[in-house]
Amino acid sequence: MAMRQTPLTCSGHTRPVVDLAFSGITPYGYFLISACKDGKPMLRQGDTGDWIGTFLGHKGAVWGATLNKEATKAATAAADFTAKVWDAVTGDEVLTLAHKHIVKSVNFTEDSTCLLTGGNDKVLRIYDLGKPEAEPLEIAGHTSAIKKALWCNNDQQILSAADDRTVRLWDKNTKEAVKTLAFDASVSSMEYIPDGEILVITYGRTIAFYNANSLDLIKAVDAPASIHSASLHPEKDFFVAGGDDFKLYKYDYTTKEEMESYKGHFGPIHCVRFSPDGELYASGSEDGTLRLWQTAVGKTYGLWKCVLPENLDGKYNTAI
Amino acid sequence: MSGMKTPVSVLRLPRGPEPNSRGFDPTSPRFIALCPTTLPSSSSSSGSADEEEQRLRAELRERFLRTLLLMTGKRVRFDMHEHVRVHARFGASDIDVLNLQVCDLETPLGVQREALLRSQDVIACSFEV
Repeated sequence: MAMRQTPLTCSGHTRPVVDLAFSGITPYGYFLISACKDGKPMLRQGDTGDWIGTFLGHKGAVWGATLNKEATKAATAAADFTAKVWDAVTGDEVLTLAHKHIVKSVNFTEDSTCLLTGGNDKVLRIYDLGKPEAEPLEIAGHTSAIKKALWCNNDQQILSAADDRTVRLWDKNTKEAVKTLAFDASVSSMEYIPDGEILVITYGRTIAFYNANSLDLIKAVDAPASIHSASLHPEKDFFVAGGDDFKLYKYDYTTKEEMESYKGHFGPIHCVRFSPDGELYASGSEDGTLRLWQTAVGKTYGLWKCVLPENLDGKYNTAI
Repeated sequence: MSGMKTPVSVLRLPRGPEPNSRGFDPTSPRFIALCPTTLPSSSSSSGSADEEEQRLRAELRERFLRTLLLMTGKRVRFDMHEHVRVHARFGASDIDVLNLQVCDLETPLGVQREALLRSQDVIACSFEV
């Protein structure tokens, strides 16, 4: 029997959720951090959405949030002109990195020793977390606010997307732009998949996939509405996207065909990401909620329970 | 039949934030495994350090509340974010000190008879005792 997707709603934020990130898989499961305009980023258990804690300290909207692979550290980027590093186990603030303007993006290296930041002052900064007092390495070049900055190619290169409608690939050591991609519209989101070196970029109604080394286009798909974020499944068989029409779209990556669309959010979707095991994806919206969606609808996983037809006596049925 | 898909069953909803706590449960397996040194010890030395801290906190809190009482009815200068400085007559604060009720607030646009100032926007207040 075909099942209808039951998204799990994570409430708690009081303003739009603008960014979210998953950790890697740890001995305690995997975790999810959400960035919110209410200034209070939250940590949740990744497979259930259960709230674990709120990082308190920012004095403005939090625009970007990330976790390191082990989920022991978190970093956030905010409108209060700071990026902060947190202990993701205790919730304590570990470091405040002052910037000259709104910070939009933060990203750890694989070994969590360095933090990359980018924001409205158009400069990429690399902080050595072992020497927090030292001046960061700066990479200038973008002519507008940086929206997203990511480490790639074994942390030797940096990918950045800015409001100047370019995506640039930088060499960390020479601080030079190795390649530049120019677009007709502002890039709304970027995701880097290390395994396979794929870059997922969204702009306008397009979801485009690039080779992260050469920045050659692999393929592109147009959605029915303006897309704000997309994510490729770890096995690269599908991708999901969400944007202005409040819906989440699921596409077959190989054939580029739209497979499903899901309603549920009450506002535009700002961010969407697959979990590290690919079993679910999380979406953050203008409506202030995060929703968790099953990749394989009907499968028993996390809080979702596969109930065989003869056991459907209404006891567990809590469709929202 | 095609419109009659059964929704997937759910064990419960995801747990939301606790109202009075920032979370990060120190009794969780992950916390205990990764932060053994931050567990409160039962030795008397750390116990008295906690008590001393509690005493100091209580003293600071009392001082703050008495300052608010003393400020009532007085003309106060509020230094706020974005280099804003205004004068007003202080009335009261709400229970969580989220808002400050003032009257005759002098602003660049004129004098506001009654106003509420958001505490989070205020950096400092000064007044003549």
